[in-house]
Amino acid sequence: MFWRMITKTLVRQKSKMMMIAFTVVLGVSLSTAMMNVMLGVGDKVNRELKVYGANITVRHKDAALMSDLYGLEGRGVNDKFLHEEDVLKLKSIFWGFNILDFAPILEGRAMMGSADVAVIGTWPEKHAVLPTGEELDTGLKSLRRWWEVSGEWLNEGGNDGVMIGHLLASENGIKAGDTITLTAGGRAMTFRVAGIFNDGGSSDSKILMTLPAAQELLGLHGRVSSIEVSALTTPDNDLARKAAQDPRSLSPDEYETWYCTAYVSAICHQIQEVIRDGVAKPVRQVAESEGTILSKTTLLMILITILSSIGSALAISNLITASVIERSQELGLLKALGAYNWQIVLLVLAEVMITGIAGGVIGYFMGIGFAQIIGQTVFGSYIEIARMVILIVAVILFFVTVIGSIPAIRYLMALKPTEVLHGK
Amino acid sequence: MASRTRKGSRLRMYFRMLSGSLIRRASRLVIAVLAIAIGATILSGLVTIYYDIPEQLGREFRSYGANLIVLPRGEAKITRETLRALRELVGEGRIVGLAPYRYQTVKINEQPYIIAGTDLEEARNNSPFWYIEGSWGDSQDTSQVLVGHEIAGTLGLKLGDTFTVQGVKYGESAEASRQDLSAEENQKRDLARQNFHTKLTVRGIVSTGGAEEGFIFADIDMLDDLIGDTFRADVIECSIAANAAELSELSAEIERIIPELQPRAVRRLTQSQDIVLGKLQALVLLVTVVVLIITMISVYTTMTAMVAERRREIALKKALGAENKLVMSELLGEGVMLGFTGGALGVFLGFEFALRVSLNVFGRGINFQWALIPATIAVFIIITVAASIIPVRRVMDIHPAIVLKGE
Amino acid sequence: MPQKILELSNVSKIYGNLKALSDINLSVNAGDWLSIMGPSGSGKTTMINIIGCMDTPSTGSVILDGTDISRETAGNLTRIRRDKIGLIFQQFHLISYLTALENVMVAQYYHSMPDEEEAMEALAKVGLAERAGHLPAQLSGGEQQRVCIARALINSPSILLGDEPTGNLDEENERVVVDIFRRLHSEGVTIIIVTHDPEVGDVAQRKIILEHGRITQDIDQTPIIRT
Repeated sequence: MFWRMITKTLVRQKSKMMMIAFTVVLGVSLSTAMMNVMLGVGDKVNRELKVYGANITVRHKDAALMSDLYGLEGRGVNDKFLHEEDVLKLKSIFWGFNILDFAPILEGRAMMGSADVAVIGTWPEKHAVLPTGEELDTGLKSLRRWWEVSGEWLNEGGNDGVMIGHLLASENGIKAGDTITLTAGGRAMTFRVAGIFNDGGSSDSKILMTLPAAQELLGLHGRVSSIEVSALTTPDNDLARKAAQDPRSLSPDEYETWYCTAYVSAICHQIQEVIRDGVAKPVRQVAESEGTILSKTTLLMILITILSSIGSALAISNLITASVIERSQELGLLKALGAYNWQIVLLVLAEVMITGIAGGVIGYFMGIGFAQIIGQTVFGSYIEIARMVILIVAVILFFVTVIGSIPAIRYLMALKPTEVLHGK
Repeated sequence: MASRTRKGSRLRMYFRMLSGSLIRRASRLVIAVLAIAIGATILSGLVTIYYDIPEQLGREFRSYGANLIVLPRGEAKITRETLRALRELVGEGRIVGLAPYRYQTVKINEQPYIIAGTDLEEARNNSPFWYIEGSWGDSQDTSQVLVGHEIAGTLGLKLGDTFTVQGVKYGESAEASRQDLSAEENQKRDLARQNFHTKLTVRGIVSTGGAEEGFIFADIDMLDDLIGDTFRADVIECSIAANAAELSELSAEIERIIPELQPRAVRRLTQSQDIVLGKLQALVLLVTVVVLIITMISVYTTMTAMVAERRREIALKKALGAENKLVMSELLGEGVMLGFTGGALGVFLGFEFALRVSLNVFGRGINFQWALIPATIAVFIIITVAASIIPVRRVMDIHPAIVLKGE
Repeated sequence: MPQKILELSNVSKIYGNLKALSDINLSVNAGDWLSIMGPSGSGKTTMINIIGCMDTPSTGSVILDGTDISRETAGNLTRIRRDKIGLIFQQFHLISYLTALENVMVAQYYHSMPDEEEAMEALAKVGLAERAGHLPAQLSGGEQQRVCIARALINSPSILLGDEPTGNLDEENERVVVDIFRRLHSEGVTIIIVTHDPEVGDVAQRKIILEHGRITQDIDQTPIIRT
C-alpha cells in the first residue's frame, strides 16, 4: 500500500513533483557544472598562461649568464654549447607529456654591413618524429605568441629567410621582402627578410633565422646555446622549495613525491638528466607568476562554486518545504484516517527522494553539458569530467532533500487533522 | 456605504489586506523571502565579482613584473624631477611599482661587474617573483646589497660576506694600468681622487633564472654618492595596473607631456595579460550567467509553489465580487513587498559575500557597483510578481464556483 | 403585490452528456425564504452556481432583480454578483490571515468602500461584536459561519444565497444560524438556502425538491413557520 500511495502521488501530483524534480535538475546541473569547471580550471588556465612563453631555460653548465648582459659575448667568452641532438630528448623525461613547447636557441653575432648585430638561430615551427614514433609540433612561434609580425613568420625549411626586430629594421630601413647579407668568421650569407617582428623587449634589435642557417653562419654545427621550454607545472609548495635548494636533502619518500609531481624544480631536475652538460633553471618571472595566478583563479572558482552550491541546495530544500506544506491538506487527511506520523514522514521522504534521484540523474548529465559549453566557449577545449563530482553531488543532494523536508515534517507533526479538514 | 466615498479608505483597506497577508502568513513567507534572498545574494555577489575581476586579477598579473619600460630619449639621463613628473602622470593609484635603475660598471677583483642602483623597495614591488636568499636591502644601511646568484657563484660570495668594489668617479676618465708600473703603484693610482672604492656586504642573493642573476643591486642614492654624481637614471621600470590599451594610451600621454622620456610597453606581458585575463573574465561571465539563469528559475519555481496554495483564496475573493484586476493588484502588491524585502536582504548578503571572496582571494577590498542595489531589487520584484501572477492567471479563468463545497 | 426578485424560465444546464438541470421554472419574490433540497447529484450546486452568477445556463433565461443574467459575460457577472448576491459557504471560506472584522470589510472593499463602523455593526448583528479582532483560526465553526453571514449581508444584497450553510456545524450552532436566518427573514431579506438537512430545509417559508435536474416538489411551508 505504501508503494501504491507513492506511485499514485508521483503520478497524480505530477505537476508538483515535476516542479521539485525540475528544481533538483537545475540545482544538480549547476553544482555539477561548477565543480567540474572548478576542478578543470587549473589545467585550462595553466595552458592559457603558456602565452607568457618559456618557464624553463636550459643552458650549458659553464655558460656565463652575465655575457649577454655586458654585450661582451663573442668567441672565447661564450664558447660552451649544448648538443642539438639532445633537444628532442626533452619529451622522453618522466614529465615529458607536460612539456608543451620548446625551442633550441643559438646566439651569436654577425656583421650586417658595418654594424655588429646579434643573431638568433632557432626552430620556428618544428615537426619532429620521436624515436617512440610519437609526432610533435613545437618551435619558437608558440613561445612568442605576443609578437606582432608584419610580413610572415619564418618557416622551418626556409633556411635563406630571416626575421628582423623592428628597432633594427627601422634603424637600417629594412622592410619585409628585402635581402640582407650577413658575415661572420669570414663566411658571408645572403638572406631574404620574411618579416619584421615587434617583441617589445630586447629581441627588437636582433635577427632571427633558422637553426641550420645560424649554425652554418656561425660555424657551430650541431650546437645550441640554450633551450627554451614551456611546461605545465604545479605551483610550488614547501617540498618543492626545499628540493629546489638541493634534491639530495630530501628523504627517499619526499624525493619520490617530489620527482613524481610536476613541480618546476622536478621538471628541471629531469631535464638535466637528459641534456648533456645542461643546467635547467626555472624562469621565475613566468614560473612564480603562473603559480600566483593559478592559485588565485582556482580559489575564486572554489568560492563561486561553494556559493552556487549553497544557493542551489537552499533553493531545492526551500521548494521541497513549500510543496510539502502545500500538500498539508492531503497529508492531514492521511493523519485523520489514522496514519502514524512516522508513516506520513516516510511517505513524504520516499516521494521526495525518488523525485530527487530522478532529477539528480538528469541534472548530472545536464551539468556535464554546461561544463562542456563553458569549456568550449572559454578555452576551446573539453573539460575533463571528474567522477568524484558524482559522489559529492549525491551526498549534498541527499542531505538537502532530507533537510528540506524537516520544516515540512515538523509542520505535519504539529498539524491537527481537524484543522486541515475544515479548510483553514 | 456609498455615502462615504473617500479614496483613502479603499487604499487603507488595500494595505490592511496586504499587511495582514504578509504578517500573519509570516511563517510561510519566510520561505519565499529566503528563496528571493538567496537569488539576490547570488546575483549581486557574482555580478560584483564579475565587474571587479579585471581590476583584481589585473593586479595579480602584476606579479609578472614591470610592464612598461621608460627610457630617456637620446643620450640624456633621467633626472629626479622627471621621475617625479612621471610618477604624478601615471597616478599613485595605478602604480604597483616604479623603480629607476642606474647601471654602473665597477671592478671587483679587477674583473668588471655591473651594479644596478635602484630603489630597492620599488624594485621589490616590481618583481615579486625574485627569489631572495637572505633578505631585501633597505634604505637604512645602504652598504648592504643584493647580488645575483651568478655573481655570487663566480665570486664565491655567501650571505654576510664583504667585498670591495672599485671604479672611476663620474666625469673622470680611467687611466689604464700601465705595464711599466708595479702592482703597488697601480693600486695607489686606483685610490687616487678620480677613483672610488668601498666595501659592500651581501645581504641577499637573487635568483630569477634570468638576466638579473648577473647584477649587483644597491641603493641608487648610495651609488650616486659613491661615484660622486647626482641622480641620473638609465631606465625606469614601471609595473602599472592597466591593460594593453590603457598602457598604450598612457605611453602616448607620457610622450606628449614629458617629451624627454620614451616609454615602451613590454608586449610579452601586456599582450599575454590581455589574452589570459580575457579568458578568465569570459569564464566568470559564463559561470555568472549559468548560475543566474538557474537561480532565477529556482526562485520562480519556489514562488510558484507558494502561490499555488492560494487558488482557493483567490476563487473566494472572486465569489465575493472581486474583479480580476483587484485580485491581481493584491498579488502584485505582495510580490513587490516580497521582492523588495528578499532583494534588499540579498543585495547586502551578496556584497558581503563578494567582499569576503575578494579579501580571501585577492587580499583586497572590492568596489561595489552601487547601481546593483536598485537593479537587483528590481529584478527580484519582477521575478516575484511574475511568479505570483502567471500561475494565478490560470486560476483567474476558473469559475469562482470552486469555493462551493468540495474541492 | 410582492416584487419578483428572481425568475428562472426553462433553464437547462448541460455538461457534455450530463443534463444537470432540465427545464427549470422558478420564481422567487422579494422577502421569500426558499430552501432547495434534494439528493446528491440532483443539480442543487448547478442551480446555486447559476443563481449566484457564477455560471450561466445552457438554455433558458434567468432574471435577477430585473436583469437577465443568463447571457452576461464573466466580467459583468462579477459586478452583478457583488451587487445582488450575498454568499454563504459550507466551508465558511474566511481569509485566514484577516481578522473577523477585516473579512467583512473585504466584501465592502470589493463592492465599493470599506467602512469599519458599518462592518462592526454587521458583526454586532450576528452577535460577534466582541470577537471582531480575532482571526478565523481563533473562532469556533459557528462563529466563523456568523462572520460569513455578516460578510454576505454587508453590501445589502438582493438575495442571501447559502450553500449548505450548516453542513459543518454542530446542532447548537446550527440553531444559532437558523435563528439568524429567521430574524433576517422577518426583516425582509430574501434567502435561498441549498441544504440536505431537513431541519434546516423545513424552517423555510417555501421548499423545492430537486431530483435528476428537475423540480419534483414545490411546497409552501408558511404555516409551519408560524408555529
